[in-house]
Amino acid sequence: MIPKEPEEGLTDKVDAAKVELEDVAALKQALAEEKARADSNLAGWQRAQADFINYKRRAEQEKGEIGQWANSMLVLALLPVLDDLERALAAIHDELAGVSWVDGIRLIERKLRATLEAQGLSEIKALGEPFDPNLHEAVMQSKGKNGIVVEELQKGYKFRNQVIRAAKVAVGGGEEKDEAKPDESQTSA
Amino acid sequence: MGKAVGIDLGTTFSEIAVMQGGEPVVIPSAEGSNLFPSVVAISKSGERLVGQVARRQAIVNPENTIYSIKRFMGRKWGEPAGRELPVEEDARRKTYKVTRGPSNEVRVAMGGKEYSPPEISAMILQKLKTDAEAYLGEKITEAVITVPAYFNDAQRQATKDAGAIAGFNVLRIINEPTAASLAYGLDTKKEEAIAVYDLGGGTFDISILEIGEGTFQVKSTSGDTHLGGDDLDQRIMDWLCDEFKRDQGIDLRQDRMALQRLREAAEKAKIELSTIQQTDVNLPFITADASGPKHLNITLTRAKLEQLVMDLVEKTLEPCRQALSDAGKTSAQIDEVVLVGGQTRMPLVQQKVKQFFGKEPHKGVNPDEVVAVGAAIQAGVLKGEVKDVLLLDVTPLTLGIETLGGVATPLIPRNTTIPTAKSQIFSTAADNQPSVEIHVLQGERPMAADNRTLGRFILDGILPAPRGMPQIEVSFDIDANGILSVKARDKGTGREQKITITVSSGLSKEEVARMQREAEMHAAEDAKRREEVEARNAADTMAYTAEKTLRDNKDKIAADLNQEVEKKIVAVRSALQGTDINAIRSATQELSDAMQKIGAAIYQQQQQQQPPPPPGGEQPPGGEPPPGKEGGEGTVEGEFREV
Repeated sequence: MIPKEPEEGLTDKVDAAKVELEDVAALKQALAEEKARADSNLAGWQRAQADFINYKRRAEQEKGEIGQWANSMLVLALLPVLDDLERALAAIHDELAGVSWVDGIRLIERKLRATLEAQGLSEIKALGEPFDPNLHEAVMQSKGKNGIVVEELQKGYKFRNQVIRAAKVAVGGGEEKDEAKPDESQTSA
Repeated sequence: MGKAVGIDLGTTFSEIAVMQGGEPVVIPSAEGSNLFPSVVAISKSGERLVGQVARRQAIVNPENTIYSIKRFMGRKWGEPAGRELPVEEDARRKTYKVTRGPSNEVRVAMGGKEYSPPEISAMILQKLKTDAEAYLGEKITEAVITVPAYFNDAQRQATKDAGAIAGFNVLRIINEPTAASLAYGLDTKKEEAIAVYDLGGGTFDISILEIGEGTFQVKSTSGDTHLGGDDLDQRIMDWLCDEFKRDQGIDLRQDRMALQRLREAAEKAKIELSTIQQTDVNLPFITADASGPKHLNITLTRAKLEQLVMDLVEKTLEPCRQALSDAGKTSAQIDEVVLVGGQTRMPLVQQKVKQFFGKEPHKGVNPDEVVAVGAAIQAGVLKGEVKDVLLLDVTPLTLGIETLGGVATPLIPRNTTIPTAKSQIFSTAADNQPSVEIHVLQGERPMAADNRTLGRFILDGILPAPRGMPQIEVSFDIDANGILSVKARDKGTGREQKITITVSSGLSKEEVARMQREAEMHAAEDAKRREEVEARNAADTMAYTAEKTLRDNKDKIAADLNQEVEKKIVAVRSALQGTDINAIRSATQELSDAMQKIGAAIYQQQQQQQPPPPPGGEQPPGGEPPPGKEGGEGTVEGEFREV
């Protein structure tokens, strides 16, 4: 007599083994997928970490620069006022030339300039200099020595060695100026 | 692996942006500006100049300064293209020589050599790349570059070539209006029609896009290649000249220097009037005649400005009508409106656009930068940097616990990005307090009762100790899914308790907004209530400390001083029974003054036994102890102490 049970047991065992093999295959697949996901998560994390470190470094740098930048913005906004003051002093009526009140205003202009220079403002040399687009902006071409700034229409300034406003100039085109004709008045604007 | 950037390669200006920590950031050029002139030149000395520097010498070197090269990208002689002029016409308007290649391609001459337009554009892209690499401190290898929606295949390919020549792996060429839509996150919408209104310095473009299944389709484009912010500036200048002539009899149009100043002043006034109702145009010494110097000082109101430019703004609506008709849509069928270009900052423009399309346009992103920003976002998406799994959330409302006096003490402020964790040390409010109740709150109000209770639990087994001595560490931890765990740990005994709460359950956006509004409305009275609680706590602490000091120094204090202080303590305690805060405050102050006498007395005694210390001012007695807090009926609150 052959007991049924062991046979069933055997079949069960075979079935169980089959299921186990399938399980193993499925598990291997799942493991591969999880590994891939873990790798991509790690990569994402590393990238975020790197981004953060770079951002921190730049934030520190910018923190240091921000004071300087804010000041240069303020000074840039004040330049038109300085321009106007210069214009005023350049246009003094003959009658007023000796008046002491006018002298006072002149001193004030000097003081304003000195204060700004102490903060880091410096004038860009333009008149008579070779034209340099890093420092000057050519607004027109004029008669005069080729490549030389012959007129300054608006003063240029640097703030702590960075150009905050290029000088607006007229550049000579090579034709010589007539001696008879008067020069265009060099009011800075 | 290098970074990927987004580049807006414009006709007059270009911009570059990059994703940084999930946010797009515009990268400034080495000269410090976000806007970069699309100009290339060879100087007389043979040096190649790109950007701002090239622009500054354009007038003295017109033949070798190449500008607006975008108009020639991907084009041939004899072929019409998009909305541009024929090459012949465009070439005539340029100060540099435009020549013909072997198959009628466009070439430009610069410094004695001939270049293709992509080569010139590549020089601009190269400078952008170099400056950006210096700024970021890392290599940039890939880019998304934008083009007008009306560019054809040849024009797009030329742009891609330019990118390749500059050393980029060009991930994609996308349309400028599409980039603008991306900047506003419109790519997550389904099946919508979007109108992109682009009013810049010199040109106007309107595009109608359709988005479906994540892709953008351009349905129609129209515009005006000679209408922009510069025209509005001109109107202001003309008006200023007319007013000046009327008032002072001089025509400023004859004075080149005055015109220069006027142009800058006009643009400045126009910009200011976008935020204020009127401004002064103030130009001293604008000119002079026989009678002396003349000054220009004219007030320009926003209403007057709008009058001066109304017809120009309305002129933009005609191409809008055309574009809608070409796209087969009515304005009602447009779901979203996006604004691009600096001139769209003007209230009149925004108003007309809103009127025309019948909806509020999107305008939160800087309109000068929106195209570059959108390109950067696209670059980020293509590089897998912007993945759903990394989209981080924020807590919409402040989370905290209740402390002495019914006050809500915040631990995690609202809008904190999660996941996040925060802990703080608290203490007991009464002597020998055996347990603390952690009452977890959500909301912006300073008083616990006005906020939402998320949960409560008790940590017991605290060893007997004077109030303020035990250290209870309370930690809040929110994971990426918004699940909050609150833990309380007695650092002395090591015992801990915790609860887990799903924070976001039950609160809709509207409810969150409502809670924030309520907090704002009640801010004043809440502040007052909080101050009252603090005054009470301070009074209570003072009384407790006074009692302790009297006990500890019984033998050192004279009897009458002792009595005086005791009377003051009683006064404080009875003031605390009532609700008059001023009475509480003044009683506290009197007790404090009385306490100082004790300190002085004790130190004097010491001095009689020792030489006096060098003069350094009087020290207050014993310093102020950390504010202890009185408990309510059995409920015990932790003390706020800086960690």
